[in-house]
Amino acid sequence: MPSFKLDGKTIPFEPGESIIGAARKAGVEIPHYCWHPGLSAPANCRMCLVEIKPAAGQRPIQLDVLSLDPKTGEYKYQPKPKLQPACQYPAVDGQEVLSDSSTHVGDARKAVQELLLLNHPVDCPICDQSGECKLQDYWLEHQKTQKRMRDEPIHKPKAVVFGPTIVYDAERCVMCTRCIRFMEEVAKDPVLDMRERGNLNEISVAPGRQLDGNYTLMTEHVCPVGALTATDFRFKARVWFLRSVKSVCQGCATGCNAWLDYDPRTSSVYRYRPRENAEVNKFWMCDPGMLSYKRAHEGRVAEPRIAGKTTTVQRALESAKKHFDGVPRESIAIVFHARYSNEDNWALKELAITLLGTRMFYRSGGAPGTGDDILIHADKNSNTAGLNQLAPSARPFADLLADIKKGAVTHAIALGGATPGDPEADLAELRGLKSLVTISAHDGPLTKAAAVVLPATSWAEAGGTYTNAKGLRQISEKAIEPIGSSQPAWKVLAELGRVLGVEPSWSKLKDIRARLLAVEMPSQPDVSAQAE
Amino acid sequence: MIKTCNHLTKHYGKPNGWSLDAYEREGGYKAARRVLTEMTREQVTDEAKKANIRGRGGAGFPMGVKWSFMPKQAPAGKPMYLAVNADESEPGTHKDRTIMEENPHSVVEGCIIACYGIGANKAWIYVRDELHLARERLWAAIKEAKQKGYLGANPFGKAYPIDIVVHTGGGTYICGEETAMLNSLEGKRGEPRLKPPFPAQAGAFGMPTTVNNLETIAIVPTAFEMGCDKFSQQSALHDLKDGGCRLYGVNGHVKKPQVIELAVGVTMRELIYDIGGGVTGDREILGVIPGGSSTPVLLPTETIHAPDEKSPLHRFHGVNVLDVPLGVDTMRIAGTMLGTCCVTVMAVGTCPVLAMENLMQFYRHESCGQCTPCREGSAWLKRVVTKILDGESSMEELNELHDIANSIMGNTICAFGEGTAMPAMAFLKKYRKDFEKYVRGEKTRKDARLTVT
Ligand SMILES: Cc1cc2nc3c(=O)[nH]c(=O)nc-3n(C[C@H](O)[C@H](O)[C@H](O)COP(=O)(O)O)c2cc1C
Ligand code: SF4
Ligand code: SF4
Ligand code: SF4
Ligand code: FES
Repeated sequence: MPSFKLDGKTIPFEPGESIIGAARKAGVEIPHYCWHPGLSAPANCRMCLVEIKPAAGQRPIQLDVLSLDPKTGEYKYQPKPKLQPACQYPAVDGQEVLSDSSTHVGDARKAVQELLLLNHPVDCPICDQSGECKLQDYWLEHQKTQKRMRDEPIHKPKAVVFGPTIVYDAERCVMCTRCIRFMEEVAKDPVLDMRERGNLNEISVAPGRQLDGNYTLMTEHVCPVGALTATDFRFKARVWFLRSVKSVCQGCATGCNAWLDYDPRTSSVYRYRPRENAEVNKFWMCDPGMLSYKRAHEGRVAEPRIAGKTTTVQRALESAKKHFDGVPRESIAIVFHARYSNEDNWALKELAITLLGTRMFYRSGGAPGTGDDILIHADKNSNTAGLNQLAPSARPFADLLADIKKGAVTHAIALGGATPGDPEADLAELRGLKSLVTISAHDGPLTKAAAVVLPATSWAEAGGTYTNAKGLRQISEKAIEPIGSSQPAWKVLAELGRVLGVEPSWSKLKDIRARLLAVEMPSQPDVSAQAE
Repeated sequence: MIKTCNHLTKHYGKPNGWSLDAYEREGGYKAARRVLTEMTREQVTDEAKKANIRGRGGAGFPMGVKWSFMPKQAPAGKPMYLAVNADESEPGTHKDRTIMEENPHSVVEGCIIACYGIGANKAWIYVRDELHLARERLWAAIKEAKQKGYLGANPFGKAYPIDIVVHTGGGTYICGEETAMLNSLEGKRGEPRLKPPFPAQAGAFGMPTTVNNLETIAIVPTAFEMGCDKFSQQSALHDLKDGGCRLYGVNGHVKKPQVIELAVGVTMRELIYDIGGGVTGDREILGVIPGGSSTPVLLPTETIHAPDEKSPLHRFHGVNVLDVPLGVDTMRIAGTMLGTCCVTVMAVGTCPVLAMENLMQFYRHESCGQCTPCREGSAWLKRVVTKILDGESSMEELNELHDIANSIMGNTICAFGEGTAMPAMAFLKKYRKDFEKYVRGEKTRKDARLTVT
């Protein structure tokens, strides 16, 4: 593999790769604003300038700049090497590149920083980006001086509503065009552009349009500064109070890798941020997916219910037992759910086969929607592929409804609330059951029709693996503490087994993971995702 | 040495001088006919190199060499183009417009030869929108040439289709930068592109394109008519590969500002005193800007520094800058640039601080704003110079002013950055004392003049 030297360190590269790209892969950051590994390189911010030593026998390109002797007021021309943007310049085998070790590079970075902050409002206390802003980070790393312009900065439009999800502040904008390029290159909707010239430039939305569609929130995430803020997150939190876990989006079967950001002090979830995974979502997420973090709090089943009335876990379990009294165990139908983790569904299967001895398997899941050829999958369930693998014999939800109508199914244990059909119609059919015990995190026809409901944690409160449409089994980590009396579904299922008079074979998540690996899913779940 | 020519200017000021009749009466279109009917493409580029035409758009790149960068073969089934740069907006520059208005057929004929030489079948002429007459005259000339069969499917009977389209831009200076011009031509925002790729690799609509200044193209028929080597030899700098003749402009504080066609080799002093009739009010020269506002100003006392005896420029060592032939390399060794070859004279009595403010105002306004150093730096330069003039600045701020220019220099996407920083540095270095007077309050804006009598 060819390689070059960056400040003396050997950096391998693929032919065609830029200096900055190759350095990033090797874990070396060259400071940058406009460059983004998933977008084209416009080389406009000039933060990534590096010094490239001329090849042997080649003369360096030099330029004259002025130096001043302040005592005499005499200026002198002095040569300096021409610097090159590392984001545009391709890596060349054997080349010597100076970044942190070049004083010329240091001067250039400092200059770019000062220039970017020249007309910047520096309103960090009221800026949502504060704490994760490149201007702040690089000021400390590369500038550390007060700006020399003491005059009133240029004023530009603030709090411009770009659309239902995004608000723009032109004064904070560093004109890196990442947002423009994201909309054009990834979202394939070139709705943003730049207007005006010089330092009056600003980003604008195409006349007659607003910034809408399924990929608007990404503009806020690619924005290196606080120029674009998300309506949903504006003025809600200080990011330094938030903690992040590696999560997997529950919005659809694509299973985008995400950071789930939560406040441990209040145990509440604030947002999703895309987490890089070259094989799944690259750097991106869609809007519905990013907003699906709200499901951690919305529509939740927090407490157990008997006939719709809140009760305690103990009473609910006893009531469940009573409902199945005298019912032949092998005639209890089992309803798996495509929105629950492999671990939860495995526990349900284990309970059914080895402990109850039933194989009347059905499946449920959320209703399908529309997909696109960017990220969004028409299947709105996060674990359809996992379920297919664990319970291939599970029959479609429609069959369950038909069997209830025929009287072939009278008793059932179900995981999850959502059903694939019309909620009202599905609910009416499910009411035909004599008894239904549902373990669920969210309300839906399956909980509304249930005689007994046991609360389960959502993906945000428990670790689990989810297999996406490509067959990748991915780990999603626990963020917040369980809401109300909820517990992971696999745990509830163990307790249910116990009241039904059988002894479950699992008591820890570890046990289930080991069993999954040994028998059903003999490969390690994917944790390859890399942090950006 | 003053050697007047009238290849391009012979039609200037004549009734209907711009018409095909007038052009052909003086031998027009003979060169194009000969090129298309008797020469191969390679012969054309080889011959063109001998003319030693240095690009008239500012950078002075050898035209023939640029032509030879075009691929031998167009990418399968794809076109190649000629793009003629007539955006002429550099302050102090006013030559291309006269050609378009008074001798448009030289442009059309130049396009025919150039298209054939670079393997293109289509030429665009990118004209600033404000130049209504220039646009009309070009279109009229294209129409006449088409009717005569000099353009179209079989120019001069040769099965080599050539078409010319006049495109008017939105009228911004930055669209004169060749890649911004291509973007603008494509209907995009007029922002310079990153290079590489260069236009000869991927130019207009991604196709191989040669970009030449309008005057560069307009002089081509003359060179081919005379024989390119003979054309080049008109120049006193023929040995430096700076050949032929070109349009010189002289403006600012001279008695007879004008555009004149001269063999390369005239000196600035001749241009100012013999052609321009001397400095306004017979004043002394404060400074000269050799070729458009982006070229650093020269003091009349400066001399050429070329101590290297092996250098062909050594013969000018120690010569006053006003007395060397005005050429691409002579101006470079003088520490400035020939640029567009239109000399702007500032007489004593002009305020260099006000002159700098005037220029920086222009660059602040015209920066496309793409890259940080130029976008912010140009505006900051302007702001500080304004403060100095308004007596609101300090010595500390003056002492930092060159640093702004330094941080632009070499750090931008296009040469606009240097075009802003270099004149700024020159004004500071050469007129520092004047800046100090404003800072100390010895002078105020009321004392500042750009006009003299
Ligand atoms: C800011 C800027 C403005 C320019 N404006 C013009 C212009 O108005 N006309 C022009 O011919 N060249 C202009 N140029 C130079 C062009 O980029 C290009 O070098 C030229 O058109 C090439 O033609 P030539 O080789 O025949 O000179 C400009 C360059 C810069 C950086
Ligand atoms: S809004 Fe943000 S992403 Fe868009 S150009 Fe400005 S700083 Fe860059
Ligand atoms: S594509 Fe699917 S998994 Fe990815 S963010 Fe959107 S909803 Fe979530
Ligand atoms: S140097 Fe100035 S004009 Fe050129 S691309 Fe950068 S901002 Fe635009
Ligand atoms: S990262 Fe912006 S210029 Fe390279």
